[in-house]
Amino acid sequence: MSLLKKINEMSDSRRSRKAWFGAVCVVFLTLIIIPSIFVVFRLFTDWSSVDGVIADGATMGVIKGALFNSFSIAFIVTVIDVIVGIPMAWLLVRKHFQGKRYLDTLMDMPLAFPTAVLGISVVMFWGAPEGIDIPGLGLNLSPYAMLILLHTIFTYPYMVRSLSAILEQIEPNYETAAMTLSASRFTAVRTITLPLFRAGLVTGFILCFARSLSETGGTYIALKMMGVQSTFFTGPTFINDAKSLLGPDSAMGPMILISVLMIVLAIALLVAARLMMVRLKIPTSRVWPQFGRRLSRGTVPKIKDALSIAFLLVIVLIPSFYIFAFLTQPVAAVDYGALLSSIGLSFLVAGAAVVFDIVFGIPMALYIARNRRTVLGKMLDEAVNVPLIIPTTALGFSLALFWGMFYSGDSTAVFTAMVILGHISFTYPLVVRNIIGAVEEADASYEEVAMTLGAKPFQAFSKVLVPIIKSSIIAGAILSFTRSLGETGATTSISGAVKTVPVYIMDLVNKDSYAEAAMCSIILIVICFILIFAVRMIINRGERHA
Amino acid sequence: MPEITLDGLVKEYGGVKATDGLSLTVRDGEYLCILGPTGSGKTTCLRMICGLTAPDSGKVLFDGRDVTNEPVSRRKAAMLSQVYSLFPSNTVYENVMFSPKIQEWPEDDARQIVKSMIKMVHMESKAHSYPRELSGGQQQRTALARALASDSDVLLLDEPLRALDARLRLELRKELRSMVKEMRLTSVHVTHDQDEALEMADRIAVIRKGRIIQVGTPTEVFRDPLTPFVANFVGRSNIFVGVMGRSFDGYSEVMMPLGDGRAVLKVRRSEMQEGSAVVVAVKIGSTKLEKIRPDAAGGTDPPGYFRGKVERILYEGATITVEVGTPAGIVSAKLPNRKFEDHAADDSVLIWWPPETASVFPMPPEGLEDELRLD
Repeated sequence: MSLLKKINEMSDSRRSRKAWFGAVCVVFLTLIIIPSIFVVFRLFTDWSSVDGVIADGATMGVIKGALFNSFSIAFIVTVIDVIVGIPMAWLLVRKHFQGKRYLDTLMDMPLAFPTAVLGISVVMFWGAPEGIDIPGLGLNLSPYAMLILLHTIFTYPYMVRSLSAILEQIEPNYETAAMTLSASRFTAVRTITLPLFRAGLVTGFILCFARSLSETGGTYIALKMMGVQSTFFTGPTFINDAKSLLGPDSAMGPMILISVLMIVLAIALLVAARLMMVRLKIPTSRVWPQFGRRLSRGTVPKIKDALSIAFLLVIVLIPSFYIFAFLTQPVAAVDYGALLSSIGLSFLVAGAAVVFDIVFGIPMALYIARNRRTVLGKMLDEAVNVPLIIPTTALGFSLALFWGMFYSGDSTAVFTAMVILGHISFTYPLVVRNIIGAVEEADASYEEVAMTLGAKPFQAFSKVLVPIIKSSIIAGAILSFTRSLGETGATTSISGAVKTVPVYIMDLVNKDSYAEAAMCSIILIVICFILIFAVRMIINRGERHA
Repeated sequence: MPEITLDGLVKEYGGVKATDGLSLTVRDGEYLCILGPTGSGKTTCLRMICGLTAPDSGKVLFDGRDVTNEPVSRRKAAMLSQVYSLFPSNTVYENVMFSPKIQEWPEDDARQIVKSMIKMVHMESKAHSYPRELSGGQQQRTALARALASDSDVLLLDEPLRALDARLRLELRKELRSMVKEMRLTSVHVTHDQDEALEMADRIAVIRKGRIIQVGTPTEVFRDPLTPFVANFVGRSNIFVGVMGRSFDGYSEVMMPLGDGRAVLKVRRSEMQEGSAVVVAVKIGSTKLEKIRPDAAGGTDPPGYFRGKVERILYEGATITVEVGTPAGIVSAKLPNRKFEDHAADDSVLIWWPPETASVFPMPPEGLEDELRLD
C-alpha cells in the first residue's frame, strides 16, 4: 500500500515521470534493440571470418539457397494468405450466420499450437513419413511445397485477424451508398472498400511475412521427417544446424553472414512495405458492370464463402489436428518428468517475458499512442517494429553474441535468463502494438478528467485507463505468451542447454521417437487450450460489467 | 473559492499560437463564460487553468498564488468535458464516488456526499446504471455530480451542453447554472454558442485568436460591443461602412455611400473625428422597417432612414427575419412574428433604428472582412 502511495505521489512530478519514461527507453534500447541487431556490428569487427565464407563457393551456394527458400516461401505464403484471407475476413465481419462464434474461435486455434507440433502434424497428414504408422494422404510433395503448406497454417490467422480488424472500422455505409448508386456489390467492394483496406493489407503482409521468415522449429521438424534436413535449408534452419554441420568454429562466419543478410533484407522489406502503404494504389478507374453483377448474384458469392470455409478446414484445421490421430494408437511411453520440467521451463520463460512486456511495454505504448506527431514518437513507433520483423533465429544468435561478450560461463540459469531476454525481444512488439491500438481508441479525456478530479497521474492510469484497455492488454499478453511458448529458433540459437517444450519435442523427433513426440504435443496442446479457455472465461466475466 | 487570474498566457502548437498573451480575471464565485468561435483558444485556456496544458509563458494565479507549475491533481479545478468522459466500467454511483475514494475521505462522509450529489442532480433512480445505459442528459448530470463531489473550488465546463439535443440543451442551461451557483464555485464555461453565454453567464469574456477582446456582463457585451467582431458575434448585426459626420445632442451622424448618392445614418453619440472612416453595427433585432406606400415613392429620405426592397421573409416561430436588398448589401431585420402579415417580397421599405442601438467603431486597420471572420 505504501509503495503504491509512493508511486502515486511520484507520478505527480513531471521530473519523475520523465525519469521513468527515460528508464523505459533505456531498457528498450539496451535489452531489446541493441542485442537484436548486434550481429551487424559483429560483421564488421569479425570481417575476416566472413570474408572466408564469401570466397567459399560451396558454402555461399548453400547460404544463397537458404535465403532464397526463406524469402520466396514467405512471399508465396503471404500472397496465399491475402487471397484466401480477404473473403474469410469478410465472412467474419460482415456476414451474420449461425455458428459464426465457433468459426471465430477455430480461426485462432493454430496460434495456440507450438509450430514444432504443427510440423509433425502437417507432414503426417500430407505425406507418408517413415517411422509413423498412421496413414496420411501419402502425397509425394517436395520439401518446398510442404513448407508452404505448413507456413500457411500459422500465418493465416494473423492475416485474417489484421484484415478483419481494419474491416470492422470501415463503415458498410460506403458500400451501401455505392450500391444505391447502382454499383454491384463486387464493384462497390473493389472500388470503394478495398482501397480503404490497404493499411490492413500491409500490416497483415508484414506480420505474415515476418512470421514465416522466422519460423524454425516446425520447419526443421518437417524437413527432418522428410529426411532432407541436411540438404534443404531455410535461413533459420541453416543457423540452427550450422554448428553441427560445419563444426563450432567454422560455423561462426556463415552464421554471422546469413543472420546479417536476413536482418538487413527483412528491415529493407519493412521499409519498402511502409512506403507501399503510402504509394500503393488499387486501380479503380475501370469498371465492368456486367461482369461485376454476375459475380455479385446467385451462386458465385455462395461458392466463394464455401471455398473460404473449405480452405480453413482442409488446409488449416485438419492438418493441424491430425496429430490427435495418435490417440488411436497404443499410448506411447512418455518421460513425464522431463516433459513436465520442460513445460515448466517454457511457462517460466513465457511468463517472465510477458510480465516484462507489460511493465515496460505499457509506458512505451502510452507514449507512442499519445505522441504520434512528435519526432521521438515516430521513431519509437518504427523501432518497436524492428524485433518483430527480424527472423527470431538471427535475433537469438545476435543476442547470444551480445551477452556472450559479458558472460562466457556455462550456467544454465544464466542461459535461461538470456533466453528470457530473447523471448522478450520478439514478444515486446506484440504487446506494445496491441496496447497502442487500444489507447488510441480510448479518449484522452478520461484520464484528464480524472486528474482534474484530484487523481494523481498514476491513479488516473491505473483506476481509469487500465479498466478501459484491459482486454487489449490481456489479448496482447495471450498472444505473446503463446508466441513465446511456440518459439524454437530463438531458444536454440541462444543456448542448446535450455530445453523448452518445443526444443524438447524437436529433440524427440531428432531421435525418431515420433510417438512420444506426438503424445507430448497432445498433452501440451490440451494444457494450452485449458489455459486460453480459462483466461477467456475470466475476461468474459470481467466484461459483463464493462 | 479562489479568484483566478490569467496573466499573459502564451501557448504555441507547431508555430500556431493557440493563446497569445491571454489575460483574464475570474472573480470569486462567479460564473464566467468564455465565448469565441472554433479555434479561438477557448479550450487551451481552460486546460491551462486546470494544468492539463502548460503555458509557454505567462502565469496562472489562484487567489494571487502562482499555481502555474502545480500538478493537475492538486489544483482543485474539476473539468466537465464535452463528451462527459464517464468512466465506462463504473456505475453512476461509482463514478461520483471516484474523487472521494481517490482522496481517501472517511467512508461515511464520502457516502453521504455522493448520495446528496446524486440526489441534487436527480439521478437517484439510476445510481446503479452504467454510463452506456443513460441518456445524454443523464450522462451530463452524472458528470456534473462527479465534478461537484470532488470538493473542487473551481469548475471548468468545456462546452458542457454541446452533445445534447437542441431542446434539452435549452432546458439544461438554467438547471446547470443554478446547480453550479448553489455550490458557489468559481466557474469558467467555454462555449461557441452566444445564446448560451448570454443566458448563463454572470460575465462573458469574448475570445478571439488567443486573446480576450472584451469582458462584461451579458447586457454590456450585447449592447455595447468593443469591436465590430464582438458586435457581430454576440447577436448578429447589420454592418455598414461610412464616414463620421457631425455630432448632435444624443446622436452622431455617419455618411454612408449608397448607390449613386449617400444615406445619413444615425448612431450612438461618438467622439470620433469627423471625416474618419468608421464601421457601424446595428443588431438585427434593433433594425426596424417601415413600409412605403406605393404612392409615396420618390423624394429623398430623411436623415436616419434609407430604403430597400424586401427579398425574403424567414418564418422562425416567435420571430421573423426580413431580408432587405439595398445598394449597401442585404440588411436583416428580426421582428416579432405578428409582423409577418405586414411584409411581402418586393415591398419597398424604409430602414431605420433608434440611434442609441447603433454602435460605431473606427475602421479596423486590417480591414473589415478580416475583422468579421469567424476563425
